[in-house]
Amino acid sequence: MKRLRQLLQSSLDPAIALLLAGGYVALLLSTSRNLGYARDEGFYFQAARSYEGWFELLWKSPKLAFEPQAVDRFWSANNEHPAFVKSLFALSHKWLYSGLHLIREEGTSFRFPGMLLSGLATAVTYLWGRRISGRLAGLVGALSFALMPRVFYHAHLDCFDMPVAAMWLFTTYAYYRSTHGGGLRWALFTGVLYGFLLNTKHNSWLLPPALIAHFVLARGEGIWRELHVGRMRAPLALVCMALIGPAVFYATWPWIWHDTGRRLAAYVAFHTGHEYYNMEFLGRTYWKPPMPLGYAWVMTVATVPAVTLLLFAIGLALGLRRAVAVRVPWFDRWFSAKLRRPEPAVPAPLERDFFSVELLWLLCMLTSYAPWLSKNTPIFGGTKHWITAYPFLCLFAAQGFARVARSLSELAPRVVAKRAIALGLAVSVIVAPLAITLSSHPWGLSAYTPIVGGAPGGATLGLNRTFWGYTTGSVQDFLNREAPPNTAVFVHDTAMQSWDQMVRDGRLRSDLRGAWTPAQSSFALYHHEPHMGRVDYQIWVDYRTLSPAYVGAHDGVPVIWVYRRPAP
Amino acid sequence: MPRRGLLFLLVPLAGLAELGGQFYVSHRAPRPEEWREVRATLAGLRKSDELVVVAPLWAEPLARHAFGDELMPLAHVARPDESGFARAIEVSVLGQHAPELAGWRVVAEERHGRFSFRTLSNPAPEAVSFDFVDHVKPEQLEVFEGRTPCRFNPRATVSNGSLGGNPTFPAERFQCGGGEWFFAGVTVIDDDHEYRPRRCIWAHPPPGGPLVLRFRDVPLGGKIRGFGGLPWLLFRDSVGAPPVEIEVRVDGASIGTHLHRDEQGWAPFTFATGRAGTRASVEFEIRSTSIKDRHFCFQADTR
Repeated sequence: MKRLRQLLQSSLDPAIALLLAGGYVALLLSTSRNLGYARDEGFYFQAARSYEGWFELLWKSPKLAFEPQAVDRFWSANNEHPAFVKSLFALSHKWLYSGLHLIREEGTSFRFPGMLLSGLATAVTYLWGRRISGRLAGLVGALSFALMPRVFYHAHLDCFDMPVAAMWLFTTYAYYRSTHGGGLRWALFTGVLYGFLLNTKHNSWLLPPALIAHFVLARGEGIWRELHVGRMRAPLALVCMALIGPAVFYATWPWIWHDTGRRLAAYVAFHTGHEYYNMEFLGRTYWKPPMPLGYAWVMTVATVPAVTLLLFAIGLALGLRRAVAVRVPWFDRWFSAKLRRPEPAVPAPLERDFFSVELLWLLCMLTSYAPWLSKNTPIFGGTKHWITAYPFLCLFAAQGFARVARSLSELAPRVVAKRAIALGLAVSVIVAPLAITLSSHPWGLSAYTPIVGGAPGGATLGLNRTFWGYTTGSVQDFLNREAPPNTAVFVHDTAMQSWDQMVRDGRLRSDLRGAWTPAQSSFALYHHEPHMGRVDYQIWVDYRTLSPAYVGAHDGVPVIWVYRRPAP
Repeated sequence: MPRRGLLFLLVPLAGLAELGGQFYVSHRAPRPEEWREVRATLAGLRKSDELVVVAPLWAEPLARHAFGDELMPLAHVARPDESGFARAIEVSVLGQHAPELAGWRVVAEERHGRFSFRTLSNPAPEAVSFDFVDHVKPEQLEVFEGRTPCRFNPRATVSNGSLGGNPTFPAERFQCGGGEWFFAGVTVIDDDHEYRPRRCIWAHPPPGGPLVLRFRDVPLGGKIRGFGGLPWLLFRDSVGAPPVEIEVRVDGASIGTHLHRDEQGWAPFTFATGRAGTRASVEFEIRSTSIKDRHFCFQADTR
């Protein structure tokens, strides 16, 4: 009986983590159908199909598959981004759609790996939060992450943003475990994970500086002594990242198997010299430096539920206080004396552990946001660019929740009542993010939180209404119903590959054809961004009407509209 | 219970307040069907040719959808500015007002559900006696490339280029030589005020000499006033390109030349006619030292 209880106890957290992951994936799958395919998804569908061809060749004729011509033929597609996640898209399509028919819609089969990684990120957020802040707090942290509207939107896509957030989190968690008694196994695992992170997206370049800074700062003054006597030992995980990471990266991206130096240089150059796209912020369209320094912060406040930010702020404040106690104890004593409080106790080892892990979270957040401290960093992708910070933001929120729950539970004399208070608190801090997120679908990029007035407030403030042309999914029923047979539809910002995928998936009628310009069309879509206005005007003059036949609106805010060419 | 513990009660309250806030903000703005329901109200208020302005501006597509071209015609929506209108009707939601009507006198105001209708009077309207953009037709206009006439084509092939391409080249246009870009016809370009629409006469200088538009029998006001510009998205970085000149002549006599540089955006020009109340021919000559990418478009009227 005792063993059974122990077994149940030891498997409870993995079970909760699995439930979280499974539940999130199920939710994403069930809400995917009316979310149109974003512009970049179209390019990655195309790339994944190409890579799938190589995997088939690898299966049939391995020797041939490794020849440079074969590698170039299949892997040159979309070579400005690395291959790991696109390979998962390809394999998911090959096995789950074409092979086993487990996923009935082709586009969803491409999207599935991103959903799975997002589910796993939720699970790992829980597991880490559970270790540091407790079970209920871990759950609150994980749900706060899953129920960020922008996270929920990006978690649907066959893109790299949620995968890179997930891989960053996994690598950091493995690093943490390796430095907390995990030994060689976790260190090796960290190295392997970092290789896959490198092969996911270029955000990966920012993680080593964060971990090195953590190593230096967490050691404190001791590091100087170690340096002085020449006995400083870097964490094994860092060594594994340096040795195993690049090897895994190289091994899993066939495009760089030959002509390696030039291709890697081109990859780096693409991202360090990325062109500037247009992005509206506070009523102004930015398309070249200087970019607004407040962008990342304002957009975070405008898109992350306020109660999550409040818990984060509490957790961060507690962490900073702990950091002062551990790292600057004289200041802590001086400050307590100033306030006429009793002298603070010497921090316990557990406090030092907490300080170390919170420092790691903070550094991961800061490095994720750091590029937006420069006026030269493009802002075109909105919140997705610093989405790697969000799991850590939620881990701080879990710490904040734990502290609040502890304080409020003191109100109750009995254990049952204490638990009820904690549970009620959990519900109170999750219910708003849940409502905001569910209401944001399928308008993820148009959604803003109540603190800025929701979607109408965002529009009035001049925050970006939409981008990537994915809201075609929100007018698919209108097009299917209203467009005459064989209608040519001007797709505007939707990539033609994304449009084609909607047709292949039966979301759009098979007789509807995508058109490149309004002049070639009888129905025309317009996805609103201020700088896109000229396309709206092209339609007005061409169609001789300003009156859309249909407006797709989120909470009363027009996002996409459709014109019908009047009869001559 | 320590005071700090009580302070933490603000956390669940914040969560619940945010939930209430979400419910409030998501139901605040009228839906498309509500816009359609107030069309009759607006039609009843609009006695003649009042300008219909929507506040906030972001709701305008809903208004165009609900009210239609009759109440919101192209010439009004893509207007050069508001100075030529004597009256306007502001349709507003969420308590917003149109900044372009600040200073106008409120004549009447009524509410219908979540909509507010304000009829406003322009304190200093400038009556337009002739809008040149309305008369780009062979009945009143001749177009020349240098001295060569550009033929009017009422059914030219319409073209447009999506985001990075040309504005719509309309079916009705005076086509000059050298390619489809060289014509005079009415289109809409985006301006430097966050890409607002401006209805204008496309007047790309052609290869065979300056582009000349000669309007016959124009009822003159005291001045000819206009705006010129190039599509802003395409030319917002075009600093130092050869400027475009637009010279205005009345019965062959020059009354002024406006020099337009790309970076000026949608820029105004005004010339006194000295012949208010008479009729005359008015010529616009558009030229540049280079004809490469001089996508000039202008609006002009006499008032």
